[in-house]
Amino acid sequence: MSKLLDINDLKVYFNTEEGVVKALAGVNFKIDKGSFHGLIGETGCGKSVTGLSILKLLDNNALIEGGKIIYKDENLLDKTEKQMQRDFRGNEIAMIFQDPGSSLNPVFTIQDQIQESVKMYKKASKQEYRNIVIEELKKVKLPDVEGLLDKYPHQLSGGMKQRVMIAMMLACNPNLLIADEPTTALDVSIQAQFLQVLKNLKEKFDMTVLYITHDLAVVSEICDYVSVMYAGRIVENVPVRELFKNPIHPYSYKLVHSVLGVKTLLENLEEIPGSVPRLIDPPSGCRFHPRCEEATDICKTKIPQLKKIGKNHYVACHRR
Amino acid sequence: MSNRKKYWTNKIIRTIITAIGVTLIAFLILHLTPGDPARIMLGSYASEENLEAVREKYNLNEPLYIQYWAWISSLAKGDLGTSIRYNRSVNTLIKDRIGPTLVLTLTGLIISVVLGVVMGILAALKRNSWLDYLTTVQAIFWISIPSFWLGILFLYIFGLQLRWVPIAGMVSYTSVILPALSLGLRQEAWFARPMRAEMLEVLNQEYIRAAKAKGLKYYIVVTKHALRNALIPIITMLALRLPWIIGGSVVIEVVFSWGGIGSLLVNSVKARDYPVVQAILLLISIAVVLANLFADIIYTWVDPRIRTEG
Amino acid sequence: MRLSEVNVEEIKMELANLKNKKSSQLSLVWKRFKSNRLALLGFVFVMIIIFIAIFAPFLTPYKPYATDPSNRLMGPSRTHLLGTDSLGRDVLTRLFYGSRIALQIGVLIILFEGFIGIMMGVLSGFFGGVIDSIIMRLVDILRSFPVIILAMAIAGIMGQGIYNVVIALGIVGWTTYARMVRSKILSIKEADYIEAGYSIGESTYSIITRYIVPNAIPTAIVMISIMMPTALIASATLSFLGLGVQPPTPSWGSMVAAGRNYLLQAPWISTSAGFFIMFTVLGFNFIGDGLRDALDPTTKH
Repeated sequence: MSKLLDINDLKVYFNTEEGVVKALAGVNFKIDKGSFHGLIGETGCGKSVTGLSILKLLDNNALIEGGKIIYKDENLLDKTEKQMQRDFRGNEIAMIFQDPGSSLNPVFTIQDQIQESVKMYKKASKQEYRNIVIEELKKVKLPDVEGLLDKYPHQLSGGMKQRVMIAMMLACNPNLLIADEPTTALDVSIQAQFLQVLKNLKEKFDMTVLYITHDLAVVSEICDYVSVMYAGRIVENVPVRELFKNPIHPYSYKLVHSVLGVKTLLENLEEIPGSVPRLIDPPSGCRFHPRCEEATDICKTKIPQLKKIGKNHYVACHRR
Repeated sequence: MSNRKKYWTNKIIRTIITAIGVTLIAFLILHLTPGDPARIMLGSYASEENLEAVREKYNLNEPLYIQYWAWISSLAKGDLGTSIRYNRSVNTLIKDRIGPTLVLTLTGLIISVVLGVVMGILAALKRNSWLDYLTTVQAIFWISIPSFWLGILFLYIFGLQLRWVPIAGMVSYTSVILPALSLGLRQEAWFARPMRAEMLEVLNQEYIRAAKAKGLKYYIVVTKHALRNALIPIITMLALRLPWIIGGSVVIEVVFSWGGIGSLLVNSVKARDYPVVQAILLLISIAVVLANLFADIIYTWVDPRIRTEG
Repeated sequence: MRLSEVNVEEIKMELANLKNKKSSQLSLVWKRFKSNRLALLGFVFVMIIIFIAIFAPFLTPYKPYATDPSNRLMGPSRTHLLGTDSLGRDVLTRLFYGSRIALQIGVLIILFEGFIGIMMGVLSGFFGGVIDSIIMRLVDILRSFPVIILAMAIAGIMGQGIYNVVIALGIVGWTTYARMVRSKILSIKEADYIEAGYSIGESTYSIITRYIVPNAIPTAIVMISIMMPTALIASATLSFLGLGVQPPTPSWGSMVAAGRNYLLQAPWISTSAGFFIMFTVLGFNFIGDGLRDALDPTTKH
């Protein structure tokens, strides 16, 4: 299967008042065309930063220190802002964000905002635009589409807003959709609906999706491949079923078992001792070593590289 | 009653109370300050005869509330009183002079808003650059210059020395430039910095990032998405600065011998022509009250989040 | 959070921590202020004016009221650095003595307006209800008048002189400060630590002095730094219009006005007087800006 997106040794740092935050210290994974690729990790591990880096939408104090982001044979990190805007954002790669309430402009109607996406790629009459917008909204299974057109974002519920967001981004006809924690701000019941919509879209339109989340349960439901991220690095790249059957990296193992614990109401809910490191002064070597029971000297000094241990299964650990 | 109706009912009541209060203050100024109003108006050397005549004419012997009522009633009929100094109806005096004041004030307002908004936007877009720094510094600079001095300096440099514009009065179309600039440049600072702050806040919002993610060109993101949000609070700022702009224009009118209401007010105060003073005080403050109400209406109409509530 | 279930000791510790945070915050604020070059420059400006005000008699051989009709309207020279005015008085001397007038008026206005403003703001914010409504309506009404205009009318009736200027401006100008104080008090009232204090039985008086006052101090400092510039310009404007401090008392505003009649022959009178006003106001504005930034840098960065 061809690789749509290849992130190679991506390093991103942030300049803050307190110092330089080494948010991404070598991120490596590849996304296959047509796959539903999950990127999972705890809050603060850098998964959102990874998503934003692909489209170069980082804040001004961000420094891309190294690596490559290869999309369809082109390195996005070499592109200028203008090239990104014109050639990649929207029409090739689209992104939906965590809080739909703040991602939609409060002073424009739903119709306006979706129409804006369409206008960039198609010329049509006013009536034709309206029809196209209706079509796009129907794609995300929104009820009473006609009534929504003249409403403003604040008049919609969270779940509806998120679907409008998808519609707005998909109207640009992208090949890759990056979803940055899209259900985190939604109620649990709405989450299920939303995931259903996403599944539908994936099947119907053969989309490639990079799904960024901290929720392992969601990953198990809709992703087919997953990259496990910890403190700015990828520790395991593995097909989803394999992850739950046989998590190799100590961190993945603990992650999977903490979720499974809840699901099966086991008494020994394994909590991972310690806390996520501050990335201004991260641990040397393997960043997980302070919390790993199997850590040895080499873990503290040498950065583990991802190595293949099975079919499509890669792990970055000195002890495996 | 829906939320919106309640909001507006409250607002109208507040406005009416304020308007009544304003008339009270305009009325009471003359009466609450120590001294005999008649003597205040005519000066310490007035004869007892004249004093009595004035007292008769302006009902000064009556209890305060009757005087107030008399004044309000004639106001309601549109009669603003008679000037002691000119012995003419205040209405005519004001009518003759309101045009120039409006011209001056509006021009000054436009200058300050346009300059301020543009500078604020540019400063926000090029944050922490020399342009940004310059905007902030020049804002502080303009607020620190007394408007009357600015006017005099302009007069001296551009009027007397360079002779680019006429130096006094409302001689030609170009006459309004210097006064309006003196007024506008000072007020510009009050729009530039909030505009910058607002713009910075808006640019930080997620929907701006989402707009960029769509693939929109940057200048569209700024002008369409950002500005539309950032300009909304400027409306409130306008209403807020209006009293200051009017106050400033009074001083400017004196400096440039501009025949408007402002110079009339100053001369009347010095000449103790209190019917005129009261009338002008009232006029200006009612204008401010109405402008505030108007600004509120515009604000709720312009922000869809408020407009579509209730 | 059910306070009855939480340890009282824990709450006391939290509150103490807050206090410590405050004092370390204070040094951070001072550090930020010091690093702001404009603020330091402003400080220098103000110090210069204060110096001039205090040592005026030693800085100039002339007396501010000493007229010398034979030397009217002379240009700047070695004997009269800024020339003489229409009555032969040395301009620079009058400007120096004028700084005393300016600072005096400024401080008096701050005290007057500040007192009324803080009192009204506290009453309004702390007690709320009817008192709040009445005070706020009064504020609305007063704010419908441009400050200068209303002050002008009052000063016109009361007559010239320093104290009349202070009273006129004071009566009219306290509204801004009342609002600032009120909004700060409202936000403090809502704060969690107030609830916490009440819950462990602290008296209202203690709550006011231990939490409300210290938190209101930054607002008060910012307030004062805004007040001086406006007070100076407002009083100068009144004097300029002929309503405030008039000659022979050397006020900068009236000097600008007096110089206006001789703009062609002796432009240095108006120019220098206005410059002194600008210099002083600029100094206070730089300081004020620096303080505001030091206390809350989020608006800039």
